[in-house]
Amino acid sequence: MSKQAYIVNTGIITAIGNDANACLQSLLHQKTGVGKAEYLQTHWSNELPVAEVKMSNADLAALTGASDKWPRTALLSAIAVKEAWQPFADAAKNKRVGFFSANTVGGMDLTEAVYKQFKADSESVDFDNIRNHECGAVTQLVAKHFGFNDFVTTISTACSSSANSIMMAAQMISNGMLDIAIAGGADSLSRFTLNGFNTLMILDKQPCQPFDNNRRGLNLGEGAGYVLLMSEKAMKECDVNPLAIVSGYANANDAYHQTASSPDGIGNKLAMGNALKKAGLKTSDISYINLHGTGTANNDSSEGKAIEALFEGKVPYASSTKAYTGHTLGAAGGVEAVFSTLAIKHGVVFPNMRWQTQMEDVGFKPATELIQGVEINHVLSNSFGFGGNCSSLVFSKG
Amino acid sequence: MELYLNSTGIISGAGNEMTAGRLLCKEPDYSGYIAPMQLRRMSKAVRIGIGASKMCMENAGIEKPDAISIGTAMGCLADTELFLTKMVEQNEQMLTPTAFIQSTHNTVSGQIALLAGCYGHNLTFVQRGHSFEHALINAQLYLDEHKDEKMLVGGIDELTENSYKAFKSGGVYNDDVVAGEGAAFFIATSKPMNDTAVCIKDIYCFTADNADDAVTQVISFKEQNNIANIDLLLSGRDTTTAKLYDKVAALFNTREETFKQKCGEYPTASSYALGMLLQREEKVKRSVVVNHFKHYYACWLVESI
Repeated sequence: MSKQAYIVNTGIITAIGNDANACLQSLLHQKTGVGKAEYLQTHWSNELPVAEVKMSNADLAALTGASDKWPRTALLSAIAVKEAWQPFADAAKNKRVGFFSANTVGGMDLTEAVYKQFKADSESVDFDNIRNHECGAVTQLVAKHFGFNDFVTTISTACSSSANSIMMAAQMISNGMLDIAIAGGADSLSRFTLNGFNTLMILDKQPCQPFDNNRRGLNLGEGAGYVLLMSEKAMKECDVNPLAIVSGYANANDAYHQTASSPDGIGNKLAMGNALKKAGLKTSDISYINLHGTGTANNDSSEGKAIEALFEGKVPYASSTKAYTGHTLGAAGGVEAVFSTLAIKHGVVFPNMRWQTQMEDVGFKPATELIQGVEINHVLSNSFGFGGNCSSLVFSKG
Repeated sequence: MELYLNSTGIISGAGNEMTAGRLLCKEPDYSGYIAPMQLRRMSKAVRIGIGASKMCMENAGIEKPDAISIGTAMGCLADTELFLTKMVEQNEQMLTPTAFIQSTHNTVSGQIALLAGCYGHNLTFVQRGHSFEHALINAQLYLDEHKDEKMLVGGIDELTENSYKAFKSGGVYNDDVVAGEGAAFFIATSKPMNDTAVCIKDIYCFTADNADDAVTQVISFKEQNNIANIDLLLSGRDTTTAKLYDKVAALFNTREETFKQKCGEYPTASSYALGMLLQREEKVKRSVVVNHFKHYYACWLVESI
């Protein structure tokens, strides 16, 4: 491939840290972010643990100078964007900069707080509470805050949303439509999503155990994760070296069920296989798989079987990081792109926390201990979601 | 860019009576498109989305597309509101999953894939007044890498009582701006499939704070594409936006047609305008579409083949 998209920086906030280094330390020391909800006001706070960023909206807003009237998703997004973008904001002047920010909840946290009143008398509700309800409005707030306007978009494909942001950004850099892109996504916790997942009976009442035979479901999380992508030319002009390359990507559909994966993971296998093909890699080239690994019976079984089939039983190091961050939905692909970049940079494989028992229907065992001092050349990162949406990304050493 | 739209399927408010500031979809008889059992479970957004996509595929003579790219600013509002209402009224208890499952923004693209057995690339864009435009830009990116494939591209938004109220509070809908909704789908390819296809030569998206800034951007679009003469200006003009569209019309100095009196105002209304271009009997060689939704603007350069 002649023109590639290079990752030169990252930005992240999750329940295990407010920036990339803090998250790395938590991953290395197996510190979880899963616990009792303190800021999300819900009937279920004693029963359903979540991976919450332990800061109020006012405190989050203060980190970037945003308004505390913004939806929480926008506040989280701005923090992670600032970390990725700020070091290059001056050098990137006069370049074409794209902002690709996925989310699934938009301003739902504010809408749901006034919805009862809105239903009773819509005109009595202060419009500021619903002004930013749309997913696109969240992206626009952050874009305006940082002055991005060359290309600004929002993708919403459930749990695979921000992997798709990174895919599209890499394409637009590769074909010369943009010089620089900030790509990933954000999602805050909301009562809407917590209750929605609860009706599906796929939430774990305890801290989740991805890829364990006795797994009980997922924990929802919140956060934001972005990679800063540049063309080779932009990278030279900004005098920066790459951390990694977005070498492969693919999006496929499972076409099986609106919320469940097919038993053998048809879409999962297609996404992974096509991403490897795009990268020009064989399965044996992959050093580490950052699993989607939500902890639900269905996902881990389908994903595990698809990996076994595609890798023909020779599965490399693999782990899910959702026992740390919870499932951050529309942010997950961005968050895990940052973790994949950290794995390459530091030569580490993060342990699949809380794993105890081998799955009966999947033969490989995830990495359960911290592995350090290894060459991580190519990482495969999976993001699968509702609507059959399956996306896989390949990150390679720069 | 060079992207061909070969056939269309449209469900819109065109032909319906406007009532209380709203122009709702004139829905067709769905038999032959959607099984009755499935139809009963579908919200309007899903119904019009599936219906219009099936009509589009039928017109193109294909059973399933290779890939799907959809724009919807608001997603599946009715199901979102249904779940939200029960959640606040029942204090988060005794809830059922159906409305939640169908509330996600990618429900329509997922359902089309499911019903057609389409395992290909599948994306949903939710960038307000640029949602449909971005779905088409994505189609261009995808078809660049998959030159022989056929991609289903569409724009969908449904209007609900609450979205009407919210947009009214936000100043979008008023006595002069009729609220609308609709779904319009297209089969996009990198080479034309038939002689009635249109070629999208450029999509120029921008946001602007006022009409003068918007006109400056339209001038950039015109200059970048070296547009001297066109045969038709299809504009998003309504009675409140004369300041902008009078200047736009003067720039292009050609016949102007409008579309929002037919489909109403909604974030993905430009998909209806493109559908009109494809459906018209009298072909026009070269058209420019200029549209706005709030402060989101897009200009299109479209040629018949």
